[in-house]
Amino acid sequence: MNLRSSVDIITEWDIVAARQLGRNEAKEVGFGTVDQARITTAISELARNIYLYAGKGKIEIRQITDGNLRGLLVIASDKGPGIVDVRKVMEDGYTTSGGLGAGLPGVRRLMDDFKIETVLGEGTTISASKLLR
Amino acid sequence: MNISVELHTLGELHVKGIIGGEIDAFTAPILREKLKEITLQDNMHVELNLMDVSYMDSTGLGVFVGFYKSISAANGHMELTGLSSRLKRLFDITGLVEIMDIQETDKEVKKDETV
Amino acid sequence: MPQEFKRQYKEILEQYTQRQTELNLYEGQNFSRQLIQKNISPEEVISIHKASLEELMPDLPNDVWHSFDLLIEVMIRYGLALKEHQTLIKKQENFRMEMELASNVQQTLLKTKIPVMNDLDIGMISVPAKEMNGDYTHFLNDDTTIGIAVADVIGKGIPAALCMSMIKYGMDSLNGAETEPIVVLDVINRIVEKSVSDSMFISMFYGTYDTSNSKFTYASAGHEPPLFYSAKSNEFSELQAKGLLLGVIPNVKYEQHIISLDKDDFIVMMTDGVTECRSKAGFIDQNTVMDIIESVRDQSAQDMVEFVFHKLEELQEFEQRDDFTLVIFKKK
Repeated sequence: MNLRSSVDIITEWDIVAARQLGRNEAKEVGFGTVDQARITTAISELARNIYLYAGKGKIEIRQITDGNLRGLLVIASDKGPGIVDVRKVMEDGYTTSGGLGAGLPGVRRLMDDFKIETVLGEGTTISASKLLR
Repeated sequence: MNISVELHTLGELHVKGIIGGEIDAFTAPILREKLKEITLQDNMHVELNLMDVSYMDSTGLGVFVGFYKSISAANGHMELTGLSSRLKRLFDITGLVEIMDIQETDKEVKKDETV
Repeated sequence: MPQEFKRQYKEILEQYTQRQTELNLYEGQNFSRQLIQKNISPEEVISIHKASLEELMPDLPNDVWHSFDLLIEVMIRYGLALKEHQTLIKKQENFRMEMELASNVQQTLLKTKIPVMNDLDIGMISVPAKEMNGDYTHFLNDDTTIGIAVADVIGKGIPAALCMSMIKYGMDSLNGAETEPIVVLDVINRIVEKSVSDSMFISMFYGTYDTSNSKFTYASAGHEPPLFYSAKSNEFSELQAKGLLLGVIPNVKYEQHIISLDKDDFIVMMTDGVTECRSKAGFIDQNTVMDIIESVRDQSAQDMVEFVFHKLEELQEFEQRDDFTLVIFKKK
């Protein structure tokens, strides 16, 4: 069991640490290589968003169960400026970081469940989970 | 799909623009943005030289109408110079020649102006 | 489902590693079509490849197996890009359908009936460059008089089309066909001037033809001058009328002129989609347009406009840049 269940995102290196934590937890839950890669990519995206737009924040990883299914929950939280137009950042083709297929729509695709809470001037919390089927 | 727009500040209230190429639906937004860079003030005089404009359609005309309206609202003056006969016809037909200050190509003036 | 794909893929892979024939490769390519149809992402394909290989060649060195994990990681984004691409295509299809609907609404809204008169043969064609037409043609008529409006909104597409419905409502507010052209232009100018943005404007020609005396009264708001063909002299002339574009300033003085038509004389009204035709060699000049019209002057007005359109389409190598409208009034 990994005692550290969260990583503070302050520098770009912390993105790698968050990925590592996510991968370890995903392996432990029993996800295969492809799903591990999906989960870590989602973590990368979320951590990168914190690093680029909020300056600092936190990635938390929790093992969850839903009925008989085991899974992983990723929570990315920051006290950054918040998102002005959530609908817009969730839109395909709209990207501020210039990457194809990346950003929050990418995270939503990589995971099963996706929730976003944002308050202007206070910060953003995004939770995304994936169950092992 | 090519246009060139050069703006020269000749004095505090005097700007000269030299426009060349084609002004159509594709290039008109470029021209419009460029003209927006001019800070409009009272008694401003903006001369736009169109000597090297090879083609202009109604979208291009729209840019000049828009600029004319905003500079007039700011008590300024827009002058269009160096128009070819084809371009001049466009301003004639549309009646814009009646409200705008428009000068056709004048060979002698042309020599002096293009330094 | 992936199990089934894995089985098939493994078989193809096995065949190919043994024989390396073109047929094996062809099968592989066909297989990819299935994968795409079933939305199997690139990272999954690599995972299938790795799993098949594990069964076929279990003794490969560890480095090789590790390399696949890196490849899977790399391919995740390709998978995302592909999915994004697919949804964008779907979105585009929705836009296209919406445009089609809008264009139908526009056509219904702007429908105008070509009047049938004893004295006058009327032909009309209006073809948009894109889905939405920025040209506007409207007929008004009573027993003796026909009013004709030909207008061109600057620009093309949706903004132009929206702007045009304004003219339509302006026209509807008029009292019938006998309203004087200068009054019509004045009314519409006031409406447009109040409602459009700074760089938007409309050019419009308005004329009324009185069948009782064969006189055509007209005025223009910055519109392309119509051509008048006199049968007697076999010559074209422009129907000039001074007047500023609609929507630039609120108070404009328009000029009004009157011309009499004799038998077989005709008036050609058009938008700049006609006069701004460009071919590879350059502009198609007014003389060419006149020559084309003259060559069919003995035909019915409708046949004439259609012929001119097709001829100009041909000269432009079927690349229509602007909305195209042509109306002919021909005295019988």
